[in-house]
Amino acid sequence: MTSPPLGAARATSTPRAAARLRAVLTYAASLTVALALATAVVTLSGHSAADTLLALYQGSLEGGASLGQTVDEAVPLLLVAVGAVVCTRAGLFNIGQEGQVLIGATAGAAIALSAPGPGPLVLALTLAGSALGGALWAGVAAVLHYRRGVDVVIGTLLLVFVAGQVVSYAVNRDFLLQESAVPGQILAPQSDPVPEAARLPRLGEYPDFNVGGGVFLALAVTLLLAFLLRHGTWGFKVRMLGLNPVAARRAGVSAGWIGGGALLLSGACAGLAGGVVLTGGVYRLQPGLADNVGWEGLLVALVARNRPLLAVPVALFFGALRAGGGFLASTGVPRYLVSVVTALLVLAAVFPAAYAELRARRRRGSGGGA
Amino acid sequence: MRVPAVEMVGVTKRFGSVVACDRVSLSVREGEIHGLLGQNGAGKTTLMKILLGLVRPDAGRVLVRGHEVEIRDPRTAADLGIAMVQQHFSLVPAMRVWENVVLGAGGRLDRSAARGRIQEVARRYGLAVDPDARVEDLTTGERQRVEIVKCLWRDPALLILDEPTSVLTPAESRELFSVLRRVASHERRSVILISHKLDEIRHATDRVTVMRSGRVVARRATPGMDVADLAREMIGREPGTRAAAAAVGAMDAVVSPSPGEPERPGRTADADRGMEPGRPGPAAEPDHTGVFDRAATDRAEDLGRAGEPGPATRPRPAEPEEEPGDTLEFGRVADSGPAGDPGPAAVDEAEVLLRVRDAYATAPDGRPLLRGLSLHVRAGEILGIAGVEGNGQAALADLLSSLIELDAGVVEVCGRPVPTGRAGAMHRAGVGVVPEDRHRSGCVLDMSVAENLVLADVGRVAAGGLVRPRRLREHAARLIEEFEIVVTDPDAPLRRLSGGNQQKVVLARELSANPRVLVAAQPSRGLDVAAAEYVAERIRRAARDGIAVLLISSDLEEILALAHRVAVIHRGAIAGEMPRAEADVARLALLMGGRAA
Repeated sequence: MTSPPLGAARATSTPRAAARLRAVLTYAASLTVALALATAVVTLSGHSAADTLLALYQGSLEGGASLGQTVDEAVPLLLVAVGAVVCTRAGLFNIGQEGQVLIGATAGAAIALSAPGPGPLVLALTLAGSALGGALWAGVAAVLHYRRGVDVVIGTLLLVFVAGQVVSYAVNRDFLLQESAVPGQILAPQSDPVPEAARLPRLGEYPDFNVGGGVFLALAVTLLLAFLLRHGTWGFKVRMLGLNPVAARRAGVSAGWIGGGALLLSGACAGLAGGVVLTGGVYRLQPGLADNVGWEGLLVALVARNRPLLAVPVALFFGALRAGGGFLASTGVPRYLVSVVTALLVLAAVFPAAYAELRARRRRGSGGGA
Repeated sequence: MRVPAVEMVGVTKRFGSVVACDRVSLSVREGEIHGLLGQNGAGKTTLMKILLGLVRPDAGRVLVRGHEVEIRDPRTAADLGIAMVQQHFSLVPAMRVWENVVLGAGGRLDRSAARGRIQEVARRYGLAVDPDARVEDLTTGERQRVEIVKCLWRDPALLILDEPTSVLTPAESRELFSVLRRVASHERRSVILISHKLDEIRHATDRVTVMRSGRVVARRATPGMDVADLAREMIGREPGTRAAAAAVGAMDAVVSPSPGEPERPGRTADADRGMEPGRPGPAAEPDHTGVFDRAATDRAEDLGRAGEPGPATRPRPAEPEEEPGDTLEFGRVADSGPAGDPGPAAVDEAEVLLRVRDAYATAPDGRPLLRGLSLHVRAGEILGIAGVEGNGQAALADLLSSLIELDAGVVEVCGRPVPTGRAGAMHRAGVGVVPEDRHRSGCVLDMSVAENLVLADVGRVAAGGLVRPRRLREHAARLIEEFEIVVTDPDAPLRRLSGGNQQKVVLARELSANPRVLVAAQPSRGLDVAAAEYVAERIRRAARDGIAVLLISSDLEEILALAHRVAVIHRGAIAGEMPRAEADVARLALLMGGRAA
């Protein structure tokens, strides 16, 4: 490179640094406000704010076990978030991941509980089935959109509630996925545990830090999709479609194939997240299996501003909140208080990104004529 | 004579260096329908915006019933009884008709009283509207009736309609005019009808004011007026001079310099020569050109009489592969004497690369876009599509961009039918498009300049499903140099480039894909003179290289400077066409105004 471009780059670096500083300050300010509010709420309800925050810290970051817990919580969030990023980049807003997680887990459980064969193969089939299940569930919304003009946001959102009913139905019918009857025991609405062979291995023993194998899966998916979005012709088309669907259509990017494909892909990621939750720790299909993973994964994507690699640290942050929240609840702080505190912290994390997005949109709106 | 209902005296309005209205005077009597005729950009709309208080004039006076008024904002205009039926409807689709009518009226909302009054207004003027219908369920004609009711409901003294029939069927138009006649003659209200359609002006108005380039060029009483005369006033050129200019231009294209020679800005050259005053016609040309000139005209006329639908005046090699030098040589041959027949090298024998047959298309809201449009363009030919905007030009460009699907009709590229509306089908068939609104379909502002230089042809810089950064950069560098695009960093978003350079990016990309057909819609709009000339020269060169060029423009000057054959589009179909040498401005104007000529 010759000198003029370098000079140009240096000239633009100053405002960029200023923007970065502003972003950091916004985050610090919003986190401070959230912590102050959380302290007030906890104190007012008669608990010690210091103890509460300490418990949050202990549950998420102190010691190997807590860190492992944080990573485990982050894995499905990351998978959901990366899928959401791809879909959003293609200009479609899939917000039904919560349902796609559930259907993915259901499909995985059905395979794990019925497929014969050697262990690793069953596990692979289970995870593949989960991804396929999630993709098909998103595919329903895609078909509704491209054939009938149903808005993707509405379609995917409403299918979340249908998914809940489907899982409830499946785990309450003995001919479907309900657990096998044991004499003298009341049947719970859940499936049998998946066989040992279909469980994700746990790795690492030192000293008490260990994580589920899902983390490698999630990182691999994230890296692959980030790379393809950036460098692949597929990613080129996805971005073109998201940024200017009219120009994309003229250039031969089919909204149905590329856009619908991105929607299915994001469903597959969410379904895979469901499969990882199932085979990585819960082991049984339960109606509450998704446990807000779908919704919080969306928040991860939002905070990461639709950049797949940025989703990794953000997912870890949200995973830490989930782990800390769980630990906090076990110390006797009422569940609702835990929810309020984590929700405040989530808001603190989401606010700067949402604020920046709103500002950018307003600026684009006013400067559009130029 | 009584005091005019509304009078504008010496009104001037400038936007920067552009004078939109230059000492315009307009007087509208009570109880008359006053036509305001002019092309796009003649200043009609600005003048009306001044009356409505949307634009403040720089100079001049406005008098309402003899009293000087200052119209500061739309509210003042409304208080003075000036109301306008918008060209683009301002109705809320989800609301009912009566709700839309009372919207913004203020005061207490009395449903039954409002409905009663609407029905009364509707009955009085013969405007059939159902106050309880939802606007979204109405046809465009019905929506317009609601707009008119909405205006009349406020009891205006002056009603302004801006191109009201552009969205109507002929039957609906007739109905509208009888309503307007009732409004004017029974109620002594005044109506201003803005239009570019000569027939409308003739049938519906009492008097007419013609505007051109911000000035009033004619005032006439409608009865007994000469339509051809008005058309000429609207377009504003002496047909004789123009025909000469066109002919000179035709010659120009034949004796074109080879790409190696320095390019003359042909457009200005054409225009200058053509507009030179006192030049009676081709015969006054210097000897050699004059001879050839007449020959070209004759040949075109002969072919025209032979019934060939679109003979072009410019003979050129049938084979696109032919060296540019041959063109030059051929030019010299022709120069030396028209008797030496060029043989097989005439454009009207070249292969038809683009053919559209009986195309019908409809907008999602039910508005007809194309109504039986047919055209064809041969290799090496530039077909200019003239016409007043909004007559289907955008739809034609969209059709060739795979953005709309035909209800009926065929598009053939190189003789093969191409499915319409299928993503990328036109591009794959070899149709390049420089669209009218490049931000809408021509580029992706938030992708980089280099990426915008490939878009559809990303495969050319990719291998194994991956975009190769080096090849992308090389491709960009090559086009940036070849098309003289001013850009500091090819990886910067296209958004940062100036309009002219964005247009060059689009042009560079479309031409680098080696298209067989190039569609250029309003290619010089919004560009400065240098960029516009560059684009024009590129379009010429594309035709020389054997590409079939479809030039869609509302700028007649641009079309006459570039095209070999001119077709006029009106209400979604080709109203007529002629070789450029025969391009008679009066006739073009009549066609553009919707008259058979």
